[in-house]
Amino acid sequence: MINPIDSILRVLVAVLVLFLIGPFLLVTVFSFSDNPLSTFPLGEISLVWWREMLAHPRFYDALANSLIIAASVGTISAIIGTMAAISFAKMSNRRATTLISILCLPMMMPPLVLAVSLLSYYNALGVPLNLFTVIASHLLFTMPFVVLVTYARLATFDFTAVESARDLGATPLVAFVTITLPMIRPTIIGASLIATALSIDDFIITFFTIGQGNTLPTLVWGMIRTQLTPSVNAIGTVLIMISICSAFVALRLTKYRA
Amino acid sequence: MDRNWKQHLLMLPAFAVFVVFFVAPFIYFFVLSFWRVKLYKISPDFSFVNYGKAIERYVPIYQLTFSVAFAVAITCVVLGIIYAGVVRFKAGRWATLLTFIPLMTLFGGYLVKIYAWKTILGINGILNGALIRLGLTGEPLTALFYSPFAVAITLVYFLLPFAILPIYASMRSIEDIELDAARDLGASPWRRFSDIIVPRCRPGIVSAFIICFLLTVGDYVTPILVGGKISMIGNMITPQFGQKFDWPLGAAMSFVTLTLSVGFVVAFSLAMRLWRPR
Repeated sequence: MINPIDSILRVLVAVLVLFLIGPFLLVTVFSFSDNPLSTFPLGEISLVWWREMLAHPRFYDALANSLIIAASVGTISAIIGTMAAISFAKMSNRRATTLISILCLPMMMPPLVLAVSLLSYYNALGVPLNLFTVIASHLLFTMPFVVLVTYARLATFDFTAVESARDLGATPLVAFVTITLPMIRPTIIGASLIATALSIDDFIITFFTIGQGNTLPTLVWGMIRTQLTPSVNAIGTVLIMISICSAFVALRLTKYRA
Repeated sequence: MDRNWKQHLLMLPAFAVFVVFFVAPFIYFFVLSFWRVKLYKISPDFSFVNYGKAIERYVPIYQLTFSVAFAVAITCVVLGIIYAGVVRFKAGRWATLLTFIPLMTLFGGYLVKIYAWKTILGINGILNGALIRLGLTGEPLTALFYSPFAVAITLVYFLLPFAILPIYASMRSIEDIELDAARDLGASPWRRFSDIIVPRCRPGIVSAFIICFLLTVGDYVTPILVGGKISMIGNMITPQFGQKFDWPLGAAMSFVTLTLSVGFVVAFSLAMRLWRPR
């Protein structure tokens, strides 16, 4: 039954799996090794790079900034995105699809172009660069995800329960809070976690719109550019963990099946 | 009617963000590309000088950027088709795990992913270490690793999940029975692939190509970290917003790059339309 082409393809896929997860494993493994060069042989198991990371003077600021930005982006894009998705769900399919693809345009732009155009814009308006400008800029590429995921959930949502509540005298807000919201809550939380993961991950747009200060990715950038220390591996592992864990929980909640 | 009108209000915040932080900056950026820098100050003007500079000064850079982007995008599409195809048609009980891997690797640190390849391909990297220990080379190779090839392999790694997922999504609409019927009627594996799978996956293939192509064109971090002396157009645009201080030129370069990219992407999707079942 097994023909040679099949087995070649299977081996190729096994190689691709290794290719996809290998570098992640390397970063994690090197963060626990005392070898200062990030090469094999590994050397002793050690927490020296983790200690160095925790002792880094700007680590806590960067972590705090990253968490503030990610949490705000997650919350705001969940609220705004869900509102938009609700109004799209009431429209004809075609109209909704057109409006959603318009909102998705920023995702089709190379991030560098988005970043430098936002930088020039803030500069022209005289807006000081700080965490607020980063949060506003991140919303551009996180909000479309929330809209897409929540709209997909609402497309299969049965609105009859909401309508009966409305007929029985509930205001639209009460009907939403007591019926729609509890039913689509997992999807909203999941979508907002995806937004959080995308925001934590972003380097290019953050770098151009933050002005002073650091997030974890811009801190990593500074460390790679200047002194190459394996504590980058430790911060990298933290970043991988935060974004992969939130993505994992998000996919479970939204019951995403590829 | 009244209710409908209120419902439409709900999308206002989303479009407000879209207009204020995307449309307005984009229009301003376009206007900026016609302005000039005079005496270290950006002043309004209507001049095509920036476009002239943006085009003629950087021809070799555009060539390199678009060749790398094309190579990366095609590689990702081919590998994506293979991966998605095996998961969809051959993997059996492994399918769930195998779809999960590209989904997870989509996240997890853009910079960290590129940095990981620096530790693999760098001067003191794993590959050089292995080559030296095996006695294949006396001293670290730089020519091989700090090259367009290193940039391409790093970007393929970063972008492969972006290619696998849309292709897999469009492959799911193909029923096993269609392929079985084709086989029973005597179609070779290649014909089943070329006449059924590729045409049916066209939307997924085109969007995979677009994402990989555009993200490569706009990337400037990978060449810095693993490219050695290689510069792509992003590495020429960023200094205009830093030490070179010529924002209008940077804006013009961005629009030249965007226009060329759109041209490439449209050409690719038209070419894919020619791939029809015989």
